[in-house]
Amino acid sequence: MLAQYGYVGILLICAIGFTVIIPLIPKILMVMGLIPTKKNPTKEGQYECGMQTIGKTWVQYNFRYYFFAVLFVLFDMLTIFLYPWAVNVTGLGVGGLIAVGIFLAILIIGYLYAWRKGALQWK
Amino acid sequence: MPMQVPWLIFLLPFLSFLMIGLVLRPFLPRYPRLAGYVTIGAVGISCALSFWVLGAVISSPGHMLPVDDIRWAVVGNLEMHIGVMVDSLTAVMVVVVTFISLMVQIYSQGYMKGDPGYMRYYAFMSLFTACMLGLVLANNILFMFVFWEGVGLGSYLLIGFWFHKPSAANAAKKAFIVTRFGDLGFLAAILILFATTGTFDTGEIYKLVAAGTLTGTTLTWVAIGIFAGACGKSAQFPLHVWLPDAMEGPTPVSALIHAATMVAAGVFLVARFYPIFSHSPEAMLVVAVIGAFTAIFAASIGFVMNDIKRVLAYSTISQLGYMMLGLGVGGVAIGIFHLFNHAFFKALLFLGAGSVNHSSGTFDMRLMGGLRKSMPWTYITFVIGSLSLAGIWPLAGFWSKDEILMNAFSNNPTLFVLALITVFMTAFYMFRAVFMTFHGEYKGGAPSEHGDHDEHPQGPHESPAVMVVPLVILAVMAVCSGWINVTGFFNGLFEGDVEGAVHKIGFLEGFFGTLTHPLPLASLLIALAGIFLAFAIYIKKWISAEKITNAVRPLYTLLSHKYYMDDLYENVIVKTFLYNGLFKLFAMFDTSVVDGTVNGTASAASSAGSALKKLQNGQTQVYAFTIALGVVAIAVVVYLFG
Amino acid sequence: MIMEHIQFIAPEISLLCFALLIVLLDLFITQKRVLPVLSVIGAIVAATFIIVIWNTPPVGLFDKMISIDPFGLFFKLLILAATVLVILASHNYVLKFNKFQGEYYALLMLSAVGLMLLVSAINLITIYVALELSSISLYALVSFLKDKKSSEAGLKYLILGGVASAILLYGMAFIFGLTGNTCLTCIAEYVRGMPFKDLQEVPALMIGLVLIIAGFGFKIASVPFQMWVPDVYEGAPTTITAYLSVASKAAGFGVIARVLMTVFGLPVWLHNDWAMIIAVLAAITMTVGNLVAIVQTNIKRLFGYSSIAQAGYMMVGLAAMGLTMGTKENVTGGLIFFLLSYTLTNLGAFIAIIAISNKINSDEIEDYNGMIKRSPLLALGLTICLISLAGLPPTAGLIAKIYIFSGAVNMGLAWLVVIAVINSVISAYYYFKIAKAMWLGTPVTEEKVDASWPEWLALAACVVGVLALGVVPGLFMNLTTAAVRIFGI
Repeated sequence: MLAQYGYVGILLICAIGFTVIIPLIPKILMVMGLIPTKKNPTKEGQYECGMQTIGKTWVQYNFRYYFFAVLFVLFDMLTIFLYPWAVNVTGLGVGGLIAVGIFLAILIIGYLYAWRKGALQWK
Repeated sequence: MPMQVPWLIFLLPFLSFLMIGLVLRPFLPRYPRLAGYVTIGAVGISCALSFWVLGAVISSPGHMLPVDDIRWAVVGNLEMHIGVMVDSLTAVMVVVVTFISLMVQIYSQGYMKGDPGYMRYYAFMSLFTACMLGLVLANNILFMFVFWEGVGLGSYLLIGFWFHKPSAANAAKKAFIVTRFGDLGFLAAILILFATTGTFDTGEIYKLVAAGTLTGTTLTWVAIGIFAGACGKSAQFPLHVWLPDAMEGPTPVSALIHAATMVAAGVFLVARFYPIFSHSPEAMLVVAVIGAFTAIFAASIGFVMNDIKRVLAYSTISQLGYMMLGLGVGGVAIGIFHLFNHAFFKALLFLGAGSVNHSSGTFDMRLMGGLRKSMPWTYITFVIGSLSLAGIWPLAGFWSKDEILMNAFSNNPTLFVLALITVFMTAFYMFRAVFMTFHGEYKGGAPSEHGDHDEHPQGPHESPAVMVVPLVILAVMAVCSGWINVTGFFNGLFEGDVEGAVHKIGFLEGFFGTLTHPLPLASLLIALAGIFLAFAIYIKKWISAEKITNAVRPLYTLLSHKYYMDDLYENVIVKTFLYNGLFKLFAMFDTSVVDGTVNGTASAASSAGSALKKLQNGQTQVYAFTIALGVVAIAVVVYLFG
Repeated sequence: MIMEHIQFIAPEISLLCFALLIVLLDLFITQKRVLPVLSVIGAIVAATFIIVIWNTPPVGLFDKMISIDPFGLFFKLLILAATVLVILASHNYVLKFNKFQGEYYALLMLSAVGLMLLVSAINLITIYVALELSSISLYALVSFLKDKKSSEAGLKYLILGGVASAILLYGMAFIFGLTGNTCLTCIAEYVRGMPFKDLQEVPALMIGLVLIIAGFGFKIASVPFQMWVPDVYEGAPTTITAYLSVASKAAGFGVIARVLMTVFGLPVWLHNDWAMIIAVLAAITMTVGNLVAIVQTNIKRLFGYSSIAQAGYMMVGLAAMGLTMGTKENVTGGLIFFLLSYTLTNLGAFIAIIAISNKINSDEIEDYNGMIKRSPLLALGLTICLISLAGLPPTAGLIAKIYIFSGAVNMGLAWLVVIAVINSVISAYYYFKIAKAMWLGTPVTEEKVDASWPEWLALAACVVGVLALGVVPGLFMNLTTAAVRIFGI
């Protein structure tokens, strides 16, 4: 029975091998003298591109960004569900209409909630 | 008859207890009399229902009413039932218990009037009655034991009712502890029974005994164990010492204890498990011998007591010995018939003594005398009770005593002689009490500090109607209750066939015909002789009591010290042997071994708790890691051992 | 087909509608006292629907997604009862939240909807969705006080709950991978048809089983998945602690019992294996819970550990249930009866604690000193519940323990019962520590402690229930045996 997991084992070995071998390749090449080693500060730095960071990396964003993001997801979802229904609106019939109506109603309650709680205002 | 009726008989007094304890006492403490009414109402209805049950039992075939069990709980394969058993024994007992209890409760309204513990008194009385009814009705030996202990608890609470008096508190403790020795035997019997039969159900046990599954030594030991329990409750030698001290409780309590509840419980228990006893001749002999010995032993102490309640107490012990003798030599019907009659006249006598005390403020007969004139009702009823107890034809006591004597005669001549002597002694000491209390001159009643309640400066007087009426009712019963077996009705009831028994002999024929037989005639004459002797000594003073006393001084001392039984128990066994010996040893064992173990375990548990608590360090990553580790550990263990 | 089946989930739908209605109303009204009334009405309506469909024969709805059977319906009623009692107990407590009272009730009801679906779900997917629905509501509720402790508790619950969800899903994935099905009965059919005699021969099943037990173990707070309990119980609003300790736990047991019994009930070697896992975990769980509870000084933390220990006793019942599969014995209702008893008892205790701590603003046991003088009835109610938790007569706790332990002994788990009885004795120590403080301690102040009438009502209902179960358990045992009968064969 364990044999069936052999493929998983092979995959595991490959994964480990890959992660170990790849970082080692430059070192090996360096030892073999196949690549040039000219050191300079930029090369020694953590990033080889871009600007030096200014200030702390831990910046507090205004949490309203998240509000909008979440509300966006809400309407995004709405579209995702409405689209297939719209494509086959006649085929799904009255039952489909009612289901979508309930779905919309729940979303509208959510929207109303966001609106009354002032989530749509930026202040 | 609806099957709820037997349940109600028990439940009503119990509800009355709950009602007084949980509602009336906390919320309506200003109206103590309500408690009395609630109790009397509940017991009254119970009493009426009991008569109904008795009627139904008499008219049913085999004198046995099937009542379905209530399935209380089902746990796996173990079904727990609670149920009642309604046969002739139960029916007679519930009638006795509720009737006497009702009379006592009515009487107590007068006797306990103005007592600060009035409500508490009625609450305990209800509980006591309820427990006794529960014991009588239960069809399961385990429940019987629970109610048995409940009766013990009730008696403890009531004997120690005036707990501020050290003597009352001690008496209550004594009653509780002494009966506990007997209960040990009972408990052992229950365990042996369960171990061998696997059931607690009384009916099942009957069947097993009848089928011969339970025989031999086991059966005898079970019977002896049960009898040990009965000895404790019914104050049989050598566990009788608590009963005279139990006089410290209010007198109506004594009446209830002596007539219907506590002491009757022991006799009832033997009767209930009579099939076990009847299969073991050894056990029967033990019962009969202990009974006969107790009868004469207690009667002899009754000779010299000066406290009217103590005279009655020893007379109760003696009469209980009679009942045991009756059970031992005759059968359930014989013993219970005496219990039935005894309940009425003994309750009557105690209530009469209470009435005397109510008037004179004392229980010491030497301080009474001449109360005949001031308390005519009490006097007449007391005399009727005494005559009945002495066994004078045609009063109740005669009939049952006669049957016991007859059975003893045909069974065991030695025991018969003992019983016959007891008849003489009983008649003597009862009429000694009557003459000392009611005849002669009034000697002034209580000296100041005595008395259960208010002082009575106005001198002896008749008690109020609430006290006299129960006396009269009980007196009527004390006269008539024996007549129901004149035709053999009562015996028939217990043997399962009234019809067959009754038609053998007509009422009048039996009523007068009994005097033509030599044996009843002899016992009657002996009793009359006893009365006459008392008359000669205490009324006519033909013989001086002092002279006799002086003539047999050592015997008198022995008797008035109750054969030194109390001293033996308290000084020798309890103080020397138990207290200084065994208990010290236990105490040492307890402090060093038991406490050490317990404390050690406790501190180990607590430190284990503290150690585990450290794991709970509040770090979420540690928690998550534990979960992961747990999964891996379970998987590994399952894979290796699963 | 959908329309025919819709009546059977009317309880959930109606509760959901009421929850939405509360959210909506909360936006437009200022009189917030209407909201609890409305939520109680919602729960009662749902309960009425349940009673209406009570006697329908077991039926699988929506392509075997949800099942209507006595087992599920019993749990639904239990959850609704717990919800109502918690709402009643919240009467004064919600005043602590200056905002979001409407959300509090709505979330509570949504979580109840989730739990109700959870106990009747018979498909791995429904189980997971229902679990998430209830959990997400509870994550929010736990951090409702918005103070430091409460937020920390909420976050911990969220993270660890996420871990547990992941583990559960992983287990479900293994089972699905092995059997190709998500519906429980279909999986069961496959599992019964397997030609194996040992769990080691099917590692996928073994890992799936272990992971599923672990995932649900988090919900029922079994060691070693119990670490969140004390922190979350202490930080959460006390009402939510009460809810977590009963409704969430009861539903957890409902679903784990259903999954284990239907999917892994047969063949015999399989249920022997998982019953043994549960039995060993039960022994560890109750021991750890009780030992740590002894040294607690905060009453909410103490009840956290106490609920872990109680979960241990329930797992004894679960193990016994598992072992009865395939034998002639009837499946015992011990676990169900215990849950009923525990729900009433623990809620009763929590309601008293809520009422008391609302006034004295402390959860330390030493502040309960002399409570009998400050509020005799609350102290009495709490004491009765403590007696029941310790498993002494005349309360439900005793009968429940007898019920569970006798079932376990019948199934040959005597060693476990011995451990459980020792644990009961240990537990009596810390339960009576509280009782002792209340009855014998000297009160700090003489100030009286009182409760509002909904709190009294809830407490009275619990105490009466506890005593009724203890005195006349026969009345309820038929219900519990009927509930587990669906697992019989």
